[in-house]
Amino acid sequence: MSYKEKRTIASIVTMLSIVTAYYVYAFNKVQAGLAAPDDMKFWATTILTFIGIAIVASIVIQIIFHILLSIGIAAKSQLQNGKCDEKEVEREINQEMIEDEMDQLIELKAMRIGFAMAGIGFVAALVSVVLDYAPAIMLNILFLSFIVGSMIESVTQLYFYRRGIRNG
Amino acid sequence: MVKKLEIKNNIRTLRFFADEMTQQQLAEKAGASRQTILAVEAGKYAPSLELAFRIADAFGVTIGEVFDYEIKEIKK
Repeated sequence: MSYKEKRTIASIVTMLSIVTAYYVYAFNKVQAGLAAPDDMKFWATTILTFIGIAIVASIVIQIIFHILLSIGIAAKSQLQNGKCDEKEVEREINQEMIEDEMDQLIELKAMRIGFAMAGIGFVAALVSVVLDYAPAIMLNILFLSFIVGSMIESVTQLYFYRRGIRNG
Repeated sequence: MVKKLEIKNNIRTLRFFADEMTQQQLAEKAGASRQTILAVEAGKYAPSLELAFRIADAFGVTIGEVFDYEIKEIKK
């Protein structure tokens, strides 16, 4: 499995953990009576906080992955050659991280599918308002659709890395 | 009947004759990632014309010696 595939899996796991943590936190608060279900300020604050957590978590995971990749390459070089050449390790890291035309094509196609999911979520959120559901439900549908869209984007990337991709 | 154009390549053979060049070495020479070279070699990805030329250049051959095509008729 390549570095990019591992990174994509890590991103899916991160998103899944964040969304689970969000719902556990939010519903526990509502059930405990610490927040009213129709308190829009509470939902907006919680969503904003978790968006912040998601951004920080993904940056931290990228950094950890980069460190682990460097350690892995250095250890492999040490085992194979009995020495660890810094320049060689750096060259291999750069080679693993290179983003070429296939990566860009996969990213574009995956992003299109992820965006479609977010779009469907937006329409679903509007429908929920038309059907007289609480505004908090609309906000949660919106948030969830973006998260699911992002996860579908990552899953699609994995699928294309495995199965291959055709131009056009 | 639908005609489908299938792109084939001789990268494995060319690597063998280039002193068993590794996919990693070819990737570096062609300026692509190893994963892309792997996908091209396995026929899972048809590269752009630019990358195809760069791969051919890495072997010092013409593009026609690396890539070929076959037209297959598929029953619909």
